Amino acid sequence: MSELQRLDTGPAGAPPAMSDANPPEQRLEDLERVTDSALAYLSLDDMLAELLDRVRSSLNADTAAVLLLDEDRGVLVARAAKGIEEEVRQGVQIPLGRGFAGRIAAERRPIILERVSKPEIVNPILEQTGIRSLLGVPLLVEGRVIGVLHAGTLVPRSFNEDDVRLLQLAADRAALAIDNARLSEQRAVTQAMQRTLLPEALPQVPGLRFSAKYLPAGSGVKIGGDWYDVFQLPDGRVAFVIGDVVGRGVVAASVMAEIRTGVRAYLVEGHDLGAVMSLLNELLVSIGRNRSATVAIFALDLESEELSAVSAGHLPALLLAPGEKSRFVAGAQAPPLGVCPGQGYSVQELRFPAGGVLLLYTDGLVERRGESIDLGLERLASAANAAAAAAEAAGANSLTFADHVYAGLVQHVALEDDVALLAIESVALGSRLELTLEAAPRVLVGLRRTLGRWLVRHGVRPQIRFDITVAVSEAAANAIEHAYGLRDAVFNVECQYSEAEVRVTVRDTGRWRESTRSDRGRGLMIMRELMGATEVRHDESGTAVTLVKRISEAS
Amino acid sequence: MIELPVEHFDGIPVVRTPVDIDAANATRVRDELSAHTSQHGFELVVDLSETRYLDSAGIDMIFRLSRRMRERRATLRLVISPESELGRLAEIVGIPSAIPVHDDVAQAIDAARRSRPSERVDP
Repeated sequence: MSELQRLDTGPAGAPPAMSDANPPEQRLEDLERVTDSALAYLSLDDMLAELLDRVRSSLNADTAAVLLLDEDRGVLVARAAKGIEEEVRQGVQIPLGRGFAGRIAAERRPIILERVSKPEIVNPILEQTGIRSLLGVPLLVEGRVIGVLHAGTLVPRSFNEDDVRLLQLAADRAALAIDNARLSEQRAVTQAMQRTLLPEALPQVPGLRFSAKYLPAGSGVKIGGDWYDVFQLPDGRVAFVIGDVVGRGVVAASVMAEIRTGVRAYLVEGHDLGAVMSLLNELLVSIGRNRSATVAIFALDLESEELSAVSAGHLPALLLAPGEKSRFVAGAQAPPLGVCPGQGYSVQELRFPAGGVLLLYTDGLVERRGESIDLGLERLASAANAAAAAAEAAGANSLTFADHVYAGLVQHVALEDDVALLAIESVALGSRLELTLEAAPRVLVGLRRTLGRWLVRHGVRPQIRFDITVAVSEAAANAIEHAYGLRDAVFNVECQYSEAEVRVTVRDTGRWRESTRSDRGRGLMIMRELMGATEVRHDESGTAVTLVKRISEAS
Repeated sequence: MIELPVEHFDGIPVVRTPVDIDAANATRVRDELSAHTSQHGFELVVDLSETRYLDSAGIDMIFRLSRRMRERRATLRLVISPESELGRLAEIVGIPSAIPVHDDVAQAIDAARRSRPSERVDP
């Protein structure tokens, strides 16, 4: 074995030729020093620096270093060092299985080098520093190697079993701290990603009520690939999207981010749903991460109640229409995205009537191991029907629709997978329509569409529909302007239909201000021209504009 | 940023406006229309035949654009389908008395072609 003597820690290990270790009474103190729980309160960098100092003094060593395993690349990377700081500065990397540290990691056992010599060492810094003897141990977390801790001396030294045990204790302490730091870092990344991937708040769309639930299964460290999205299209329609990328973790999440951005970009560019899906498919195929994803996209015209749908491998949505049996719609007619290049997708046309509910979800909500999917879908349908009945009984208070459905389902079984659930309720249109809207111009288009639909429902002629819609939109634009600069301001639109007339009151709580906009006078003029009677009242509480349009032919 | 569809006939840009023009997008629509006026001198046709709603913010935007173009001896032309609800609204706010309005794109291009040579003559 030439000049090199290698000692194992097992019983067969040779006795130390000489020992520079501290006397036994100090050993206990040394042990306490490297396992000191106070170290846990330091940041990872400070903790490692402090631990390496303590290792050096307890072992009477000159150098100490921690290298961490980069699993993807199969190399050990210097993370912290004392006495050989150069190692970290130069970012030394040792291939797994090679050299002193590389072998410790690969063989998952302590190694002693009594005499450092070239063939054993791949890291030139160890040699340049003048290190003569080395002792190294693996950093283990639940049996996995995450790195190596080693200590060295500038004079020849025979490390003994006590030294090995002491260094292993320090290594265990370091491994725990590193693992914890990584977990919390990953958790922070996960949470940050989740926040950017799911809409922070669902948009306000007049005539629709949204509720959603997102529940990651398990520890919450591994981000899921489930997501949903709601946004308004340039043509005034509202898009709903639900999707699920196969797998979990940061890669799944980044694929989901790419698809989510793609859906928005392609739709806003004005492509129809089928084309959007084809473009997404090509996008995912070209990214080539071997990830497939299921996606369903819906676009609702608020005025005509026409719902276009396209699905790439996604489970069917559940549609509850008033007075009808609930049914699954828009089932997948094409495979998931990222599977077949050149795949085409057909668009299905549906009706989403007022008073209905559309339920979008991911498979985690209905799939149970060892059970037919049909059972899961049946369970979902009955939970949704119960939620609809409860919503009708309880009115607008209490739980959201998504909460109801979710509560109805999990009371039977525990979740095995991530779950995303989005419920879209289309408000019932009676002779009275009441809307509370965010005071922002983006709500205007939805207000016009919903008002239009309400007027169609009451059989109002197109010309009169136009007059009312335009006049109410002008009144709403005024209300929005009054609220300018107020936080979270809302305004109300109350519409009342009768045989003879339609009466609409738009009420805001903002301050009346004399507008400097030249179109202000024009807005009032439009209201007066298009409506029979226009009344503007303002007091301390705000401004109320009442518009009345006679609709009976006789008058 | 939404790009409004634009076509050129004989070098005259024809820009098609969205279904809705209101306080939410009037500024954006104005910016896109203005970009075409600076690129292509004297005539701009704004095709409103797909636009169903134009609110006072949108109307104001059109009046201002027309005024600015006139100051530069350029002409804004609008295409509004006759007998459409939008046409009725345009009448109410007095658009046809201030801005040339045409029934369809072909008419607007015709009118633009005829007016162009005289516009090119330096005063």
